[in-house]
Amino acid sequence: MKGDKIYILGGYQTDFARNWHKENKHISAMMREAYQGSLESTAVQPGDIKAAFIGNFAAELYCMQGLLGAFFVDFDPRFKGLPTHRFEAACASSAIAALSAIAYIKADIYDLVCLIGVEQMKTVNSTKGGEFLGTAAFYEKESEGIEFSFLRLFGKLGDEYNKRYGLDDSYLARIAEINYRNARKNPNAQTRNWFMNFEHANTIGSYNTIVGGRIKITDCSQVTDGAVCLYFASEKFTADYVEKNGLKLEDIPQILGWGHTTAQIEFASKITDSQGQNYILPFTRKAITDAYKMAGVKDCWDLDCIETHDCFTTSEYMAIDHFGLTKPGESWKAIQQGVIELEGKLPINPSGGLIGGGHPVGATGARQLLDAYKQVTGTAGDYQVPDAKKVATLNLGGTATTNVCFIVGK
Amino acid sequence: MINAIRKVAVLGSSGTIGSLVGGLFAQQEIEVFFLSRSLQGAKAGLKKAIIQARSEVISRYIECGDYDHSLQTALQEADIIIESVSENLEIKKNIYNRVERYRKPDTIIGTTTSSLPLTALAEGQSENFKKNFLSTHFYNPPGKMLACEIAGTENTDMEVYRFAKKSLKDILRRVVIPVKNIPGFAGNRIAFLLFSKITELVQEYGVEMMDYLIGPYTGRLMPPLATLDLVGLDIHKAIMESLYENTCDEMHDCFKLPDYIEKMIDMGLLGSKTKGGFYKKVESGKHVFFDPTTCDYVPAIEPHLAFIEKAKNLIRLGMYREAFETIKNTQSKEAEIVLDSLCTYVAYSFSRIGDVTEAKYGINGIDTVMSSGFHWAPPSLIVDMLGGNKDVVKLLNAKGFEIPETLINGPTIKYPIHNSGKFFIAR
Repeated sequence: MKGDKIYILGGYQTDFARNWHKENKHISAMMREAYQGSLESTAVQPGDIKAAFIGNFAAELYCMQGLLGAFFVDFDPRFKGLPTHRFEAACASSAIAALSAIAYIKADIYDLVCLIGVEQMKTVNSTKGGEFLGTAAFYEKESEGIEFSFLRLFGKLGDEYNKRYGLDDSYLARIAEINYRNARKNPNAQTRNWFMNFEHANTIGSYNTIVGGRIKITDCSQVTDGAVCLYFASEKFTADYVEKNGLKLEDIPQILGWGHTTAQIEFASKITDSQGQNYILPFTRKAITDAYKMAGVKDCWDLDCIETHDCFTTSEYMAIDHFGLTKPGESWKAIQQGVIELEGKLPINPSGGLIGGGHPVGATGARQLLDAYKQVTGTAGDYQVPDAKKVATLNLGGTATTNVCFIVGK
Repeated sequence: MINAIRKVAVLGSSGTIGSLVGGLFAQQEIEVFFLSRSLQGAKAGLKKAIIQARSEVISRYIECGDYDHSLQTALQEADIIIESVSENLEIKKNIYNRVERYRKPDTIIGTTTSSLPLTALAEGQSENFKKNFLSTHFYNPPGKMLACEIAGTENTDMEVYRFAKKSLKDILRRVVIPVKNIPGFAGNRIAFLLFSKITELVQEYGVEMMDYLIGPYTGRLMPPLATLDLVGLDIHKAIMESLYENTCDEMHDCFKLPDYIEKMIDMGLLGSKTKGGFYKKVESGKHVFFDPTTCDYVPAIEPHLAFIEKAKNLIRLGMYREAFETIKNTQSKEAEIVLDSLCTYVAYSFSRIGDVTEAKYGINGIDTVMSSGFHWAPPSLIVDMLGGNKDVVKLLNAKGFEIPETLINGPTIKYPIHNSGKFFIAR
């Protein structure tokens, strides 16, 4: 592949606990804050930015607003005329935006690009929001007329594990509890001040009802307003950048590799096709192993932590064996042995993930990359994994239809 | 000295603060005794704690009881007692007498009073009681407002104070603000000065106009008079009286209640908990507003001023500095009122450094309590939005304010974006 290394120069995440709709803010205000915050957190100069890549799932539905790239141009007088791009791949929108940004740098078209992931979701009630999220499945076949269709589909993922290997739901409750526990250490996490313990997550009660299939409220990620802004740069730009700012090139994290696959959109079709195979979601597994291969990562034990797409506890349960922490179907062992906890052998979602940290759909992939950057640069604060050098992210769009795995490291 | 909190007793657990603070301990899986005058009251508190946690699971850490049957057992076991009974000196002193009878030595006693003098509260109790007595002033609702002002008396043991401060931070996840032992502490002193200035102006401009002028776009979650309706005018009066009696500064006379509010209280118009306050909802679902001249309600006038609408639109787009520029650059009587209000807030806050908080903390303590206790833009942020220290000093000078030394000589304030935008609501 043409081109050289891709560096991440840092970025900014809005506080995912905020309700921007209650603040009566326009979606562009969130993008603006993420951009302004990124300038405070990096030494990037606005005049050096060559293009902006915006990841967003459904601003047209949630906010009656399209053409988000155009708002970037308003953030600085120098941006008038700047190329901007907008990408949609459901919950993997900003990972797809990131891949495109990387391609432009690799093609030597741009040397510094701005990536923004953004979603404003609290503009509608949960039923309407559930309907919008249903468009990330095959709407007519899988979502239309079904309340909270998406969580039901991820409930079916749990059902498939149960069918093939057996699944004790208390392990799902433990996943929820760990994510909330980690989120308490993250000053940007949506649930950082919420109550949670294992017993609550493992008990059906009036505040933890079954919302569809085997999915309880505590198995779900959050409805979140949020934006993330970060910068990708070429090796040459980064070399100049570190020199100007008294930094060292070897201290700047890189995208070491990635994997990107698309499975068929219907969940049932994915499951039918994977019968008899090692992995329930083989294309998710492939995205991970492709990323390992490109980054020179032998297996998951070369990693220091993982930021995965826990839109539901079942998707994190799936990620555990698909990343290779256990044999297929044995994810429960890694949970039982404490492997995935913050102090464990291979922590998953030190940030709190989507369940604890929040899930502004179009911003999640960018948020994962920013958290990977923070881990590798030792700037993750209370949720820092000691001496983290290599971090994997997994961002899923739809029912693991779009799968993007990145390896970030030095 | 107590060195770990294993059990907690909450006195006054039927009330909002008592039950919700008790619930926060239970959320950390610490055993809590919910005590009230009646078992029924304590159980009502438990319900509130469950709603706050959104989980019934916490109820297994909470034991409900009344003072007559359960006080002795609870106090003999409690490591810390949170006293949150009615805001009345005699009632609090009476319960302290009972606490003295049963508590184990060195139990920490934290009062949630917001306006009563701590020294007077502890008067007459044992040396050991005084050594372990301090203020833990939580903000409502504590699940969302994380501020907790802590103050001791001259008799409070510093080790106890430090332990309580650390426990509030580490166990209850509070943003702890050390304040001086003065009624009203930092937050209420500053906020109620603002409320008082606005209630004074209501007589000239009306309720609706004042809440429009000093609306959420100026850096607050709710308009000030709507906030007072939630607080309750009876509580407002009690706090104002306490501040008038127990504090002394350049704005002392502002802590006098306007006559019309006395009339509202006499008429039973206390705010949201009664049939009306500054606002009253009528059958159509619309609001009418109290008119201090006629002591009756008047229909909405729906004010609309170009500079405010422009500022709100800029805030909606995240252009906060530009919104404040608009306010600053507008020449009108109404814009002057808005700027005066912001200047009063800034000048009074900076003048209170060393008075309500230790001087060594600078404006930080006051900033923290205003943001974490009221969700108001902290005074430093307003200074930054108005152009920084130098510009604000000029502005205060032009308006005839006394300039606080702490503003002239204090560090240049540049607020990070992360802690700015959330305070400015586009309404």
